[in-house]
This record gives sequence, structure tokens and C-alpha cells, in this order.
Amino acid sequence: MENRPTRVRFRKKLKELRDDVERMGITTLKSYRKAMEAFKSYDEDLVNEVFDYSDELDKFNYNLEHKAMSIIAAEQPVAKDLRFIEASLKVSSHYNRIGGLASNIAEVARQIKDEKIPEKPMKVITHMSDIVESMISKSISSFVNQDMGIARGLHRDDDKVDDLFDTALKDITKSMFEEKDAIYYMVYLLFVARFLERIADRSESIGDRTIFMITCEKPM
Amino acid sequence: MEYRIEVKDLNVYFDELHILKNVSLKIHKNMVTALIGPSGCGKSTFIRTLNRMNDLIDTFKMDGDVLLDGKDIYDPKVDVVELRKRVGMVFQKPNPFPKSIFDNVAYGLKVHGITDNEVITEKVEESLKSAALWDEVKNILDKSAMGLSGGQQQRLCIARTIAVEPEVILMDEPCSALDPISTTKIEDLIHKLKKDYTIIIVTHNMQQATRVSKHTAFFLHGEIIENGPTDKIFIEPCDKRTEDYITGRFG
Repeated sequence: MENRPTRVRFRKKLKELRDDVERMGITTLKSYRKAMEAFKSYDEDLVNEVFDYSDELDKFNYNLEHKAMSIIAAEQPVAKDLRFIEASLKVSSHYNRIGGLASNIAEVARQIKDEKIPEKPMKVITHMSDIVESMISKSISSFVNQDMGIARGLHRDDDKVDDLFDTALKDITKSMFEEKDAIYYMVYLLFVARFLERIADRSESIGDRTIFMITCEKPM
Repeated sequence: MEYRIEVKDLNVYFDELHILKNVSLKIHKNMVTALIGPSGCGKSTFIRTLNRMNDLIDTFKMDGDVLLDGKDIYDPKVDVVELRKRVGMVFQKPNPFPKSIFDNVAYGLKVHGITDNEVITEKVEESLKSAALWDEVKNILDKSAMGLSGGQQQRLCIARTIAVEPEVILMDEPCSALDPISTTKIEDLIHKLKKDYTIIIVTHNMQQATRVSKHTAFFLHGEIIENGPTDKIFIEPCDKRTEDYITGRFG
């Protein structure tokens, strides 16, 4: 078996695809950070930046789909190359969606910018958001480095976020009963908790796609 | 699972060259099996062993078992002409006889002792229809086969092969000399024929293997490295050498 490099152009295209997914992941992380910053201390510029990132991710996703299709048409990949391309498409779509959810958070930030959020629900949401931020970061690392350990760890993180969501739900509902005037913005807080929980799910799914890409098995 | 062919510990030598090394493979009945691997890995030698075409080479030596329907085809009592009727072959380059289209298909029937013209005519039509060629040639049956296009010639060769009702059809890169349209026709034909025949196809076209076969065996340096369901081989191969070959990681 000869060791000289073969299908050099194909390898280059696959590397470009991987770099695109990585760039998309980093953009998603930036967008998420800005959205949470805007939520914690409102700034109109930050909100607009999040919306811009969302548009950028949309374009990224479209271009990546286009690239993946031309690689499939021209190179007819099989085995791990095919699994990598399929996973890239799925992961790209997840990042695009996380970008959308970050926009939703930014929109909520705009709606409740003048409200003073009670400490207790804010603490739970802050805790959730910290875990979610690390999950987005881990999702990038698991996919780009094909790291099964990090990918598996995302399941544990998602469980933590799910538990915190339940706590947030209880705390926020309780606050609604105690302070009826606050219902308007408390509903928005519930939305934010829900958006965070959805982002955690998407990050976990990226880990699952990574595991499938490497092992061809559905993660338990 | 019913097997049409069972090959056990097959070793083939040409002079001192050890071409096939302890090859064992079971070929499923009425299924298409693809053989893939780099040039010189022994795929063609392997299929030529299945109808004793290698016997024609002086330096050929072999050991191991090749069983067709459970019977050893290398048993000295086996009639080789009869064996090649049961195990037909289609080659890389279409090789029609320089005769009429009709005579090309009728030839095998006559060799095998059929003299009734009515039976021959009926069989020729049936074979050409099975090979999806009838509509294109029904009005020019007396014209020379050499005037047909490459794709038509290859389908004629398939018609010639199936006219004698083999159990197995061996195809050695049957589409490598054909354009994409003719290739599609042959592939459609393979799908149609697998209901009645066991087909073994050697191909260098990975996508063709995935399109036409249910089972694939990967040969390298005279050994079978991996064999199993085609989907499994092309999505999730077990052996790194298979993965490296199908993804083009070695030349």
C-alpha cells in the first residue's frame, strides 16, 4: 500500500468544511455571549449585534449546505468522509438554530430592559446560562477534534440544565403568584429559561452527531 | 441463507506467484455480490476460478474448494463445458462474435445441442428481451453485431450469456468501457436479472458497487480483507485498509 497522498483536492475541501463548521461554532458562541450580556445589562447595540450574527449564521448554513452538496456530487464520498459531511450539515443546522435562539433571548432583553429582575430566578438563569455557554464551547471542541469524551460529557451537562430549568419554572411560577404585577416580565423570564434549555439540547445533539460520525452508533 | 457458491481456503498460483491466498467466500443465491479492490489484487483471477477459465493458463495451480450448489467444480468428473453453461461470464470489453445479432445469441444454444429452429428463435427473443435489447434490435436481427454501439454490444453479450440459462453470471468490469447512459442500462438490467440469477460483479467504480450489489467483498494483495453487506462496507467498514481504499486514501 503506497503512502503518497491521494485525492488532495478532496482532502482540502473536507478541511475547508471542517473549518467552516468551526467558524460557525465560534460565531454562535459569540452571538450567545452577546445575547446573555444584553439580557443581564441591556444595551441596544449588543441586541443588534446578536441579530447580525443570526443573519450571518443563516448565510453560513446556506453556504455550507451548498459546499457539502458540491463535494458529494463531485467526490462521491463514502464511509467516514460521508459520515463527516452528513454530520457537518446537521451540526451547521444546529448552530444556525442556536443563533436563532440567541436572537430570541436578545429580543426578550429588549422587552424587559426596564424591569428589575428578582434575585432568585435571576440566579438560576445565570447558572443555567453559564453551563449552556460551556456546552456550546464543548460542542465545537467535540466536533472539530472528534473527541468522544467531550461529546459524551454534554449529556451530563444537559441533565444539569434540565434540572435547573425545572427549578427556574418553580421559582418563576412562585414569583408570579407573589407579585401579580410582575407576571408580564416573569413570562419573559420563563421564555429565556426555555430558550437556554433548547440551546443545551442542540449542543447535546451536536455531541451526539459527533459520536455517530465516529462510531456510526446512536448514542445511548 | 442459501448459498450458490462456497469457496473455502482457495489458493491460486501462476508459476511461483501466489495470487490468491486462503480466500474463503460464500456467494448468496439470487443476489448481486460486488468484488472491489485495487488492480492486481486478484479479483479477476478469483471470478475466473469460479468457471475454471484459469484452466486455460498453463502455469495455473490451485488448492482449496470451490463448490457450486455444494459440488466441487474442480472434481475431475466435472464437464467444463457444462460448468461454463451454468456459470456464464461477461467481460470488460464487449466481445460479440463477428456474426449476426441473432446468431450471437443462438450460438450458445446450438453448442449445447439445441437444433429445433422454433425453440432457438423463441429463446433468442426471450434472451434479448431479458437483456433489455429486443426493442432496439428486433428489426435488424440479421445485421452484424459489430455494428451495434458499445452498450448494445455489452447487452448482447449478456443476452448471449443468459440464453443458455446459467445459474451464475460473472461480470468482470462490464461497464468500464461504456458511457454513463449505457452503464445505467446495464445496472438496471443487473437489478432485473438478480431475481433469476446469482451475479458476481467485479467493479472499480465504488458507486456502482453501492448501486447494484447487496454484498461486497474487498480484495487486497490476493486476500479478502473484509466482506459483508454493501451498505455496511461503504458506510461503516470494519477494517482500516477497506476504509483507506474506498475513501481513496491510497493510490
